[in-house]
Amino acid sequence: MSTPLFIRTVSLRLRLTLALVLAFLLIFLDHRLGAMQQVRLYLNSAISPVQFLAVLPEQGLDNLVYSLQSRRALTRENDRLKRELLDLQGQLQRFEFLVNENDRLRTLLASDERTERLRMVAEVIAIDSDPFTHQVVVNKGTRHGVFIGQPVIDADGVVGQVVDVGITTARVILLTDQSHAIPVRAAGSGIRAIAQGVGDTNSLELMHVPHSTELQTGDLLMSSGLGGVFPEGYPVARIQSILRDESLPFAQIRAVPIANLDRIRMVLLLWDEQSDNQPIRSDEGGTD
Amino acid sequence: MQRVLQRTIILITFILALILAVMPMSLAIAPFRPEWPLLALIYWIIALPHRVNIGYAAGVGLAVDVLLGSTLGFHTAAYAIIAYPAARYYSRIRNFSLSQQALLVMVLVFAARLIVYLFEHYLNNAPLMWHYFWPALSSAIFWPWIFLLLRKTRRKFLVR
Repeated sequence: MSTPLFIRTVSLRLRLTLALVLAFLLIFLDHRLGAMQQVRLYLNSAISPVQFLAVLPEQGLDNLVYSLQSRRALTRENDRLKRELLDLQGQLQRFEFLVNENDRLRTLLASDERTERLRMVAEVIAIDSDPFTHQVVVNKGTRHGVFIGQPVIDADGVVGQVVDVGITTARVILLTDQSHAIPVRAAGSGIRAIAQGVGDTNSLELMHVPHSTELQTGDLLMSSGLGGVFPEGYPVARIQSILRDESLPFAQIRAVPIANLDRIRMVLLLWDEQSDNQPIRSDEGGTD
Repeated sequence: MQRVLQRTIILITFILALILAVMPMSLAIAPFRPEWPLLALIYWIIALPHRVNIGYAAGVGLAVDVLLGSTLGFHTAAYAIIAYPAARYYSRIRNFSLSQQALLVMVLVFAARLIVYLFEHYLNNAPLMWHYFWPALSSAIFWPWIFLLLRKTRRKFLVR
């Protein structure tokens, strides 16, 4: 094998130039034109084994801890879950009654009936280690009917929306990413606003709210359904502080997301029953 | 046949580095996660500059872009730029002591992160976060072990 003693710097420079041209082309296509969706699908699918391998040790450890749990602890947990289930079923009966009543009233008023939402449980398999973006990767993809722009919630509230899909994985942008905004409505007063992420997992900012607003600290903000991505009526955030500095054009309002965005493990993907995108359920359970 | 095996060894180390780069860590130490793919890249460049250089750098950078979900091309460009001085001056770097190499690695990782940060700042309005640059330090601390480990691997499998 004969390797040259020195790398010819000309060829090295040529390679660098080529690589940079390629990189800038990618940046232009991806950032300026957003034309890489299809390519990203393939790239995400190609790289997904790395993601699954990366969570393998953690999952193994979890399984080990689970299988080492004592019978007593399991019985206790089972009891607790049964009680919780009973409690929730009790609430559900009341809820169903309310839904029926609501539908009746809506037909009386001749307004549209609410559409049902379909749900699928997904597990978070990777949290982004890049501090500039707040994204997580979940273990459901196009194979399960996941689509770009799909709303994602967890047990407490809205988590974010799908920005990227692979065949078996999807990337979810969180509410708190600085490029994300969600239309909200205060639960009590019905005041509308837009909650924008600021790049901090524990904070959202309400934009363009006048100083004279009636919003108060502690108000619950629900998704308003305007904008068409998020369904109406899911809890989003609670107002933490309102700073009325008259020298600024708008009030500075900070809110804390309801969902525990810094430690999500399980999320729910939502589908509108009447849209073209429908969940594709395969063999596995864990869905409702 | 030999060359295929050797290429496989190189690829496996890169895949392991990528896995380490996205492995879940507790939030307290996550900001100090060394930039594993770049460490592996720097090692292979100074060890085999004729085989692993800017092409590999761009490939690994693209994989990092996809894994981290950043705009495609940010890490591709950064890694390619970092690979250039490493491949150009590999013979000099080889003669450095381990601690000198570690210092150089710190500078290279810092430079790579700075390039990515500048892209993020000008194209995606990212705010300046100092903790983004901590991995330069932790990468330097881990460098001697990575270097010895990869050198042992390379010698064992006779990758040339």
